[in-house]
Amino acid sequence: MQIDFIAILPEIILTVTALLVLAADLALRGDAKQFVNPLAGLGTVAAIIATVALWGSERVTFGTMYVVDDFAVLFKLLFLGTLLAILAISWRYIAEHRFFQGEYYFLLLTSFIGMLLMPSSRDLIMLFIALETVSVPAFVMVGMRKRDLYSSESALKFFLLGVLAAALMLFGMSMVYGFAGTTDLVGIAAAISGETASVPLLLGSVMLVLVGFGFKISAVPFHFWAPDTYSGAPMPVAAMLAVASKAAGFAGLVVVAFIAFEPVADVWGPMLGVLAVLTMTVGNLIALQQRDLIRLLAYSSVAQAGYILIPFGLARTGPGAAVVNAAAIEAVVFYLIAYAVMNVGAFAVAIAVERRTGLRSIADYAGLSGRSPLLAMGMTVFLLSLGGAPLTVGLWAKFAILEAIAVDITLFGIVLAGFLVVNSVIAFFYYLKVVRTVWMDEAPAGLPQLQPGFNLSAVVVVLMVGTLVLGVLPGLVTDFSSVISIVAAG
Amino acid sequence: MTGHDVVFVLVGLLTAGGAVLTVTSKNLMHAALFFAVTLGGIAGVFLPLAADFLALVQIVVYVGAVAVLFMFGLMLTRAPIGREALDGQNRGLAMAVAGGLFVVLSTLVIGAFGDLPTAEVTGPRIDDLGIAIFADWVLPFEVLSMLLLAALIGAIVLARRETGESGEELTVTRIEMAQDRDPDALEREQAALTSGSGGDGEEHA
Amino acid sequence: MEQPLWVPVLQAVVVFAYYLLITAVLIWAERRVVARMQSRLGPNRVGPFGILQTLVDGAKMFFKEDITPGMVNKVIYNLAPLVGVIAGFLVVAVIPIGGEVTLFGETFTLVVADLSIGVLWILALSSIHVYSVFLAGWASNSPYPLLGGIRSSAQMISYEIAQGLAVASVVIYAGSLRVSDIVAAQSGPGFIDGVPAWYAIPLFPAFLVFVIGMVAEAGRPPFDLAEAEGELVGGFNTEYSGMRFGMFMLAEFMSVVTMSAIVVPLFLGGPAGPTFGLPDSVAWVMPILWFFLKMVGFIFFFILLRGAMPRYRYDKLMNLGWKVLIPVALVWTLVTATFVLIEEAGGLPAGTRLGLAVAAAVILLVLLFGGRASAPDTRSVAKAPDITAGRTPALDEPGSADLQATDHQEVAP
Repeated sequence: MQIDFIAILPEIILTVTALLVLAADLALRGDAKQFVNPLAGLGTVAAIIATVALWGSERVTFGTMYVVDDFAVLFKLLFLGTLLAILAISWRYIAEHRFFQGEYYFLLLTSFIGMLLMPSSRDLIMLFIALETVSVPAFVMVGMRKRDLYSSESALKFFLLGVLAAALMLFGMSMVYGFAGTTDLVGIAAAISGETASVPLLLGSVMLVLVGFGFKISAVPFHFWAPDTYSGAPMPVAAMLAVASKAAGFAGLVVVAFIAFEPVADVWGPMLGVLAVLTMTVGNLIALQQRDLIRLLAYSSVAQAGYILIPFGLARTGPGAAVVNAAAIEAVVFYLIAYAVMNVGAFAVAIAVERRTGLRSIADYAGLSGRSPLLAMGMTVFLLSLGGAPLTVGLWAKFAILEAIAVDITLFGIVLAGFLVVNSVIAFFYYLKVVRTVWMDEAPAGLPQLQPGFNLSAVVVVLMVGTLVLGVLPGLVTDFSSVISIVAAG
Repeated sequence: MTGHDVVFVLVGLLTAGGAVLTVTSKNLMHAALFFAVTLGGIAGVFLPLAADFLALVQIVVYVGAVAVLFMFGLMLTRAPIGREALDGQNRGLAMAVAGGLFVVLSTLVIGAFGDLPTAEVTGPRIDDLGIAIFADWVLPFEVLSMLLLAALIGAIVLARRETGESGEELTVTRIEMAQDRDPDALEREQAALTSGSGGDGEEHA
Repeated sequence: MEQPLWVPVLQAVVVFAYYLLITAVLIWAERRVVARMQSRLGPNRVGPFGILQTLVDGAKMFFKEDITPGMVNKVIYNLAPLVGVIAGFLVVAVIPIGGEVTLFGETFTLVVADLSIGVLWILALSSIHVYSVFLAGWASNSPYPLLGGIRSSAQMISYEIAQGLAVASVVIYAGSLRVSDIVAAQSGPGFIDGVPAWYAIPLFPAFLVFVIGMVAEAGRPPFDLAEAEGELVGGFNTEYSGMRFGMFMLAEFMSVVTMSAIVVPLFLGGPAGPTFGLPDSVAWVMPILWFFLKMVGFIFFFILLRGAMPRYRYDKLMNLGWKVLIPVALVWTLVTATFVLIEEAGGLPAGTRLGLAVAAAVILLVLLFGGRASAPDTRSVAKAPDITAGRTPALDEPGSADLQATDHQEVAP
């Protein structure tokens, strides 16, 4: 069997980097250990180059198990970009808190290897292993603030729920295999179409598989871990979980839902639609009450997951389904890219504030505008964008979802759109509350001036510019995301 | 009932019994032992399927290593002998959920696969198995090795004591409103923070 | 080939009786040999040369009071010795004691079950054997047995990995997990004319790892940390007495025999050996004899080790297992796999192969032991806290003071 090494070059580069980081950590002593960060950064840049080179090509390797198409490349670039940003905001944070640095970066890189594999996998086993490769290092990274009981608690919670979800998903997968006799996604689609599609057990196992992904993207009945885990984890890890890990979950969900389970889309589509409504409503309502910024961001990211789930609710099978499904995938991809830009930015600002002061309740952001105009500016842009304000990418992201709904208007689609609009209004309320605190409230005495380091400032500036530029010229991304179509490779 | 069926039923009873006792045992060590029995029973399930290689690998890996490590952990943390309160208050609820799940799933499974014809099984050849793992499935295999490495290192990270850490001192992140705080405490805290990580060179990088 | 039912039954009975007998003789032989090494006589009263001593001791154990301490976990306490003995016995099932024998018109292969996964069977049972040790330690509800149980189960698990890897290179080389196939694969001509193709030669590092591993696996001196009397009173079996203690003893000696019997087919060509042109009517004895001789050689090696070596320190034992044996076995597995692949692709000339193998072995040995000798590991000495190795010279003590009493009745004049 020929292996197309070019197709997996980004993953190989990242793996080698991870091992180098581990070796470098062994060789370096004391303060020098922090220089594993730029090493990891270099590897990431190399992986980005290797990924960009794959754009436009379509490679199938390892049988039909692994496919690199434009869909996958776009996701990989999203992950690697996030990785770069997280590395930048991790540097000082990790070095100051006396974490095990080499191990931290190794685990981070390993987790991202799993993410890179996710959108390319065309096999249930491969998908499951990729998902676990994302999760297992994350369990540990969440618990890395070992002297903090919150961190340990959140790691344990994350771990137990994560393992439960993985077990349910594996159980579902094993039964899907029982039906299809293959773990190949295309093979499954072929096997479960027709009359087998109505067997209750099949639908049950499809649900179980989706539950596993639901946990990963923290959709509502499976979201309980998210707020505690985000607030207990080291902040860069929270950013990773909120953005990259969630995007990986969505990538896997797209692949499984739209390739393998496409014949039963009539069943899971409405279900995921209901889940979307629940997720965004519950997430937003709870977010309204939060006093801790990280918890607010956590619930906001739950709500955002709800928005991203809407296009899944539109999925259908039968004649004319292809157009609708393609539009849905496109909306998901575009929203995820926008979400990554703005949410990583918001976490970057939160890290800058927390690192300097150790404070994280929203009230502590009072008068941030005076203490650090850059951070205040950044926070405002990111939060407004998360809310979907004009001139930011957030608006276009929501617009993309509405566009997907408009492709073929159904009653259910209109209901979903209605919930989207109402929820956006609710969300604005709490985003604006933070913005008001930042700009209007007076800073309590004793809070120091904030001077974020170069890395953090660079991340904040780049993401802020990205949010605004994409807000004016969304075509920069949509041009790419509209040409993608997911390659099934059968 | 063929011989295979009899073996399968016996092994299935053993496995199921072990599983039930695992969750109902009051003693942690007993639970771990019954868990080992369950894992051994699963190895037994492979036998009527003519997958004897898998059966023995299951014993070597799960009964011989995984379960032993479980009990190892228990012994090192001084698992007490005798009864202990392993019960949660949610026992009844958990039982209801588990029982419901069992009924639903077994109904569904029987409904879906119950009327399939039985077939003679021929076990896979061991070399076919090897080729499948190391040629067709080499990518998942390699990724899995990376995953296991990460798990190993993660375990060390969590278990190892940080340098300079006493192991006793634990903190809890405070989440409170700024105005609730007594202002002097805030100042002291700031002083501690700035002296602790003072002049930490933001210009770095 | 349809056989009447009594053939497999007879096979099983004969094989088990064979190994049980050897075990009994071993217990006596060990005491005699170790006594010789210490200028004593050893048991010499019961039967010619005291050969029936084991029988008498067994009878004594059987009739001794069997004390069950009050706070033990009864079920597991009683179960633990049984698990050990049963696991020890079952291993025997896949080990041949000779070639084929034709008697009464039936052909007997002198093995209970020649499983297609025989090697795995051996590994699986030795991993079950661990249970006996640490369950005994835990169920005794007493600190010393607990420590002994933890120690020896950690030891067994660690060395099992090394042993498994060593066996893996054998399996790769032979291309089968069936014991008889492995034996058959060693029957061809060797690298050099006149030298048998036994795997001990091409797979020497694996052989070395396996032999060291089997000493540790059997919990024998110098790796008998489980029952380091100086530190742990008696290890995991401190609280046991009477027949249950006897079972532990039986399991320990049984594992010496089975380990010696395993290594022969895996590395030393099994029952193969010259028949000296004997007529067929007598030649069938030769394989049995050869197998017996090879096995007895290893048993003797075990006994000599016990008489000659002081006990290892625990941290050093773990270092040896994890930092030396496992890497060596792992590298050698890799090397073996590479060679097998080269072989499949056409192969190298015999001289090159031999040269490469020798060079690799030399490099390995230099890397592992050369560096060590020049730079003593000061760290581990500094770290080693209070684990003082039992310096007691290996006395004639299969674990019980009662047994010694019979020996000391007459010390060498």
